[in-house]
Amino acid sequence: MSIGAALLVLAAATLGTYFARSSLILLLADRELPTGIERALANVGPAVLAALTINLAVGSEGLGSIEFAEGAAVVVAAVVAAWRRNLIWTFVAGMATLWILSAVT
Amino acid sequence: MTATSADVSGRSTIIDRQALADLLPVAIPAVPFGFVIGLAITESAMPAWVGWLTAPLVFAGAAQLAMITLAGSASIWAIITAVLVINTRHLMYSAAMAPSFREQPRWMRWFAPFLMVDQVFALAALQTHRTPTDFRRYYLTVAIALWMVWNTVVPLGMLIGPVVPEAWRLDYAPPLMFAGLTMFAIKRIPAGVAALVGGSVSLISVGLRDRLGIVVGAVVGVIAGAIAEQIIANRQVGPARTSGEHGPQATS
Repeated sequence: MSIGAALLVLAAATLGTYFARSSLILLLADRELPTGIERALANVGPAVLAALTINLAVGSEGLGSIEFAEGAAVVVAAVVAAWRRNLIWTFVAGMATLWILSAVT
Repeated sequence: MTATSADVSGRSTIIDRQALADLLPVAIPAVPFGFVIGLAITESAMPAWVGWLTAPLVFAGAAQLAMITLAGSASIWAIITAVLVINTRHLMYSAAMAPSFREQPRWMRWFAPFLMVDQVFALAALQTHRTPTDFRRYYLTVAIALWMVWNTVVPLGMLIGPVVPEAWRLDYAPPLMFAGLTMFAIKRIPAGVAALVGGSVSLISVGLRDRLGIVVGAVVGVIAGAIAEQIIANRQVGPARTSGEHGPQATS
């Protein structure tokens, strides 16, 4: 990635993030968002995060390239996250699964 | 620990101690996350100094991790889209906080959103009963302290990154972190549907170039979530429950 492209991404991410955080504080006077929109916004996070998880877990080489240990680590991380609601445990459990299964298989 | 400069001058009123105490439990998980981002920067196709700048400027863990890990394998437009989509949840925070900021001075209304990450929102949303001055003090204490923590751990991760042996497989930490963040984000059934469909569609479309599968998965997932919402609304839930509590949304 060239420096120019990286800076473009950085600028877009900086401005875009600030816009998302500030826009409604600055614009929304005494109104509230319609419930429908607010509900839809609530689903954006889970949808894109799940898509990112899968895409990064599998990698751009396709499903065939994922190792058993990697897939299992993602599943364990998700289960532990749902159970403990804690990112540290998620990380530790996922990485431990990856290490142990990589060593065994 | 970050309180020193104000405390020394004796103007301890600038810093809200309660805010620092509240911040501690929510800041701790940010430490390994920031660390992973630091490590990811050292492995990214993005120049390291640009990756580092994401910490003070973008200041948004998930978005930072996405842009840093996607650099090199996705087109810049795909990266920008992914980052913007990830951050749409902040629109929700912004809408929810708007009433509390109405009585704040103009500089605060413009400056505060810059620091409004998930943890800051979660804590500040519980303090909206405070007077405007008190609320401002609380918000700024939490937000600035967290910003400082973040800008300490990300560079630490960058320092340690090159020393960590490849066999530790920390290159695989980002998907694990995202798996956790996904689970945290699911608070209602439609959100679960959105995640399930979004993940499945991105799995099917993983072969699309420039990692467009992420955006495709996200869009289809949001639509699926909206449909699930509609179906649940139509059924009117009620009869399934026996006069139980109407669960006041516990934002943990």
